Amino acid sequence: MRRLRIVALPYLVWMLVLVLLPSLLILLLSISDLDIYNLGAFSFVADGFEELSKPLVIEAMKNSLRLSALATMICLLIGYPVAYYLASLKTKKKTMLITLFILPVWSNMLLRIIAWETLFFPNSILNMFGVSLNLIGTDLAILIGMTSMYLPFMTLPIYSVLEKMDTSLIEASKDLGASNMQSFLKVTLPLSLSGVVSGVIMTLLPSMTAFALPERLSGGKTLLIGNIIEDYFMKTSNINGGAMISIALMLVIIVLFITVVHFDKEGETLL
Amino acid sequence: MEKRLVEISNLTKSFDDLEVLKNINLYINENEFVTLLGPSGCGKTTLLRLIAGFEYADDGVITFDGRIIEELPPNKREINTVFQKYALFPHLNVYDNIAFGLKMKKMDKSLIEDEVKKALKLVKLEGFEERNIKTLSGGQQQRIAIARAVVNKPKLLLLDEPLGALDLKLRQEMQYELKEMQRALGISFVFVTHDQEEALTMSDTVVVMNDGVIQQIGSPIDIYNEPKNRFTANFIGESNIINGIMHKDFLVEFEGVKFSCVDKGFEQEEAVDVVIRPEDIELKKETGLINGVVDAITFKGVHYEIIVMVGDKEYIIHSTDPKEVGDQVSLHFEEEDIHVMVKSDA
Repeated sequence: MRRLRIVALPYLVWMLVLVLLPSLLILLLSISDLDIYNLGAFSFVADGFEELSKPLVIEAMKNSLRLSALATMICLLIGYPVAYYLASLKTKKKTMLITLFILPVWSNMLLRIIAWETLFFPNSILNMFGVSLNLIGTDLAILIGMTSMYLPFMTLPIYSVLEKMDTSLIEASKDLGASNMQSFLKVTLPLSLSGVVSGVIMTLLPSMTAFALPERLSGGKTLLIGNIIEDYFMKTSNINGGAMISIALMLVIIVLFITVVHFDKEGETLL
Repeated sequence: MEKRLVEISNLTKSFDDLEVLKNINLYINENEFVTLLGPSGCGKTTLLRLIAGFEYADDGVITFDGRIIEELPPNKREINTVFQKYALFPHLNVYDNIAFGLKMKKMDKSLIEDEVKKALKLVKLEGFEERNIKTLSGGQQQRIAIARAVVNKPKLLLLDEPLGALDLKLRQEMQYELKEMQRALGISFVFVTHDQEEALTMSDTVVVMNDGVIQQIGSPIDIYNEPKNRFTANFIGESNIINGIMHKDFLVEFEGVKFSCVDKGFEQEEAVDVVIRPEDIELKKETGLINGVVDAITFKGVHYEIIVMVGDKEYIIHSTDPKEVGDQVSLHFEEEDIHVMVKSDA
């Protein structure tokens, strides 16, 4: 173990310089009047907290929570059966289907978002087939976008757990009198929870913090918390306010994280 | 006559193009300890899985308690299995593992508690209810797996090489306990193993299998003393297998010497395999009917294993009386120790 420490060093330095220090800086920004573009004397102020009570911010936080929770649930409902099916396949077909499943992740995410956007406009290539979706600005557009972006991240962790599961456990369950459904509910599902937890985290986190996706697919109508933070930093240059909102978002995510891990009694996924 | 619990007739099973079971005919009586014995890949586990319902036969019939059960899924059969690697549910504690089957039957809670307690007592793990499966040793997991199966009071318990992962000492202990358990419960056991000693120690009936075919069915004593063919003779204990000619009933010739024997029913002058067990041969210093030279001697604990060369044929002899390498010896045996069997291709 001791020898391995040196191998981990670059990453630890990376973490320190590019994750921990910036996080501390954000924290400092959020509770002071430090001007990042004109470093100098600063004093601690509580102005940032006011930002959190602004209706726009509260609304965006609610939107983010609602839409990311919904997207995660949809991903779970679609992803679990898919993972179950993939895990039950014979090797040859399995490899091909999983490759097909991962393939979209290899293409640029922004590109895929824009692709959805063009489909959702009233005038799109779908008009050729007599269809006009006109979804831009609706929650549905954002949900479809999020689901398509993050579905692989839900499916793959569940798949990898199911794939490793000892099939004799299912046989044992049936041998002891359980029907297919009972075997699934009493054995397969509880044993795959660790995969579900990973999947939920890997879907929930990016959809909570998404900003490009809602920006393109909502046509500016639905603001998510990611958009608000972007505006604070990039448009209004209220860096201290943006930092405060970031910190608040981080806290919300940590709370969600702890809640989810709490259900993962085994703790195998994360710890 | 004892009542037949399971009857298997003309059972055939292939995986892809590989025929793993060829025309299997077998019956299992109530309260009988049957062992399926054979080398790995002989089809014994497949046969067990067919009885359990995890696989379906291509052809043939299995009846259980007078009822054809082929179409029944495993959860509808009054049969329970102890799996090779135990297959205990890792997310449940000992109590919930054992109670699993009873809960499926929607049994009363307090009744379940009683039954689980009894089952734990049977496998000598009282007070283990709350233990986590992962903290148990291999031997303890083995016992829990047995308890989880027998608590359902099946008429037939299937055991798939359950002792394979245990060390020698524990294995011998479990052999004895399993036999006791089978007697106490009064149910039939079908036990799959590749270990001939295990089979001989525990069974009422041994079914020797090779290559998807049943080679011999019989009591351990029959199987050992009267192996029907070369394969059984070789697989059950060590054997000297010699080419011989059966001149007529009770007269066989091998190594150029005619011996009277107890076997009959062969064609006149039929070429046969003659089997003599290593412990049935006695070595004497003086010249006799079959003479040879001691080639090697190994101490085996209870006995010495002595290799004697007769011409260019090797004989294995087990004896408590050591010899020197190079000793001139003669081989002696009783006429009932000569086992004559139909010549096989192997």
